[in-house]
Amino acid sequence: METEEPVIVVEDLQVAFGDRVVLDQIGFSVQPGEIFVILGGSGSGKTTLLRNLVGLMRPRSGRILIHGKDFTAMSSDERMDMRRKMGMCFQGAALLGSLSVADNVALPLREHTRLEESTIDIMTRIKLELVGLSGVEDYLPSELSGGMRKRAGIARAMSMDPEIIFYDEPSAGLDPIVAAGLDELIRTMQSTFNLTSIVVTHEMESVKIIADRVCVLHKGRVAGVGTLAELEQSDHPYIQQFFARRPDDSDTADTAYARSLTGID
Amino acid sequence: MIDLVGRVGRWALEQLAAALRVSVLMVDTIAWLVVAPLKGKGFRWRSSVEHFVEFGVRSVPIVGMISFLIGVIIALQSSYTLEQWGANRYIADLVAVSAMRELAPLMAAILIAGRCGSAITAEIGTMKVNEEIDALEVMGVNPIKYLVAPKFLAMVVAVPAVTALAILVMIVGGWVSAVFVVGVDTEIYITQTLEAVVEKDLMIGMVKSLFFGLAICWVGVYRGFQVEGGAEGVGRQTTASVVTAIFLIIIIDLVFTVLFYYV
Repeated sequence: METEEPVIVVEDLQVAFGDRVVLDQIGFSVQPGEIFVILGGSGSGKTTLLRNLVGLMRPRSGRILIHGKDFTAMSSDERMDMRRKMGMCFQGAALLGSLSVADNVALPLREHTRLEESTIDIMTRIKLELVGLSGVEDYLPSELSGGMRKRAGIARAMSMDPEIIFYDEPSAGLDPIVAAGLDELIRTMQSTFNLTSIVVTHEMESVKIIADRVCVLHKGRVAGVGTLAELEQSDHPYIQQFFARRPDDSDTADTAYARSLTGID
Repeated sequence: MIDLVGRVGRWALEQLAAALRVSVLMVDTIAWLVVAPLKGKGFRWRSSVEHFVEFGVRSVPIVGMISFLIGVIIALQSSYTLEQWGANRYIADLVAVSAMRELAPLMAAILIAGRCGSAITAEIGTMKVNEEIDALEVMGVNPIKYLVAPKFLAMVVAVPAVTALAILVMIVGGWVSAVFVVGVDTEIYITQTLEAVVEKDLMIGMVKSLFFGLAICWVGVYRGFQVEGGAEGVGRQTTASVVTAIFLIIIIDLVFTVLFYYV
């Protein structure tokens, strides 16, 4: 697996809002067909990293190579083309509220292909079937439960048969049973279509089930990259703490709080 | 003093940045409306028609009613002065000219800004909060093409169309109060109206309303994309959208009135 050319390579990425650097010296590579989890606590910058990977934000410096081409330096036409090979599932699913579930899934097909309406209809049904959502085609997103909405979001991300799929917090806000169902779905998608999957999450439970490799983010930096077993051996204090689900020492937490108030290190 | 200069400077810079963003938006919209369809990138005609129904057709009842009442009011108000000179027949002239040049375009635009400008902001703002705009972008669908261009075309057609109707209804309103309250002869009212109206008046009204339409749409869209931070942000920008649009409408009105005064 390691010998194959990586699908995504991130090199020395730095992202900042004004003077505040949120991501620094980020580097990793994602192998084709693996589920790569970006793990981190709140405020670790994992969502920002994802937004950079899909091109919703531009980094200050560094490169993001997708299939060997620099995604950050592309013209907007090239980037639009590249995006057709990528799918993304948003945290809140982000289905268009004015369209039915079926129309949401069909949207990329209608915009990017010249397929017959009947073909699009069939493809839409297949995708919805794939995520276990048949019979809700004509519902509006607001009429679905949170878990169903996320499944519909995955169906939409899959509609153009992407090579890479990104999931933003797939199990956030769901009960454990529904969340486990989604984990399973992510696994099925990856194994059926050999999809390269990048999952951003903070849920250790789902990491254990889905992850091939994990990148742990801490305060905007990479604390470690590797398989779960490798990371468990890591002596990085944050990784150990995260895996053991231990709270911050109240002492250090207090100093950190004081530091955040005063702005003095 | 330095503080004041600094504050004015910062304010000016902010306005400049906003103006720049609006210009980028304008150029993008025009590009997706005019250039992209020629390059075969498509235009969402169906969405545009749907929006025309929303902005234009559905505005007809309220704009019609208000225009009728304004017609009635102007006729009565002008009679108050004209009667002293025994010149009540000129009510027709006053109603027709002021409806065409000023009141119908203004009323239609303000009502559409309130009805539809706010709706545009709320729609785009809510989509932004729900990451729907991001979703479009990630799917490789340009939000300007998908959301803005169809609305834009619908708006620049709808506002002049509704205005034309408002002119007609306003004149009818004027006729009702001139004939049934003041006691002007219907025949005189009609001949006076036809005599008073020149092409230029109609042209001025239409040109104005076209620009009002541009302003309503761009303000609505711009404010929508400006939304930050949840439902509260949507509310704030929606209010701001209506206020800004009406303010701009008045400014555009002023500019054109001055312009046509000299031309």
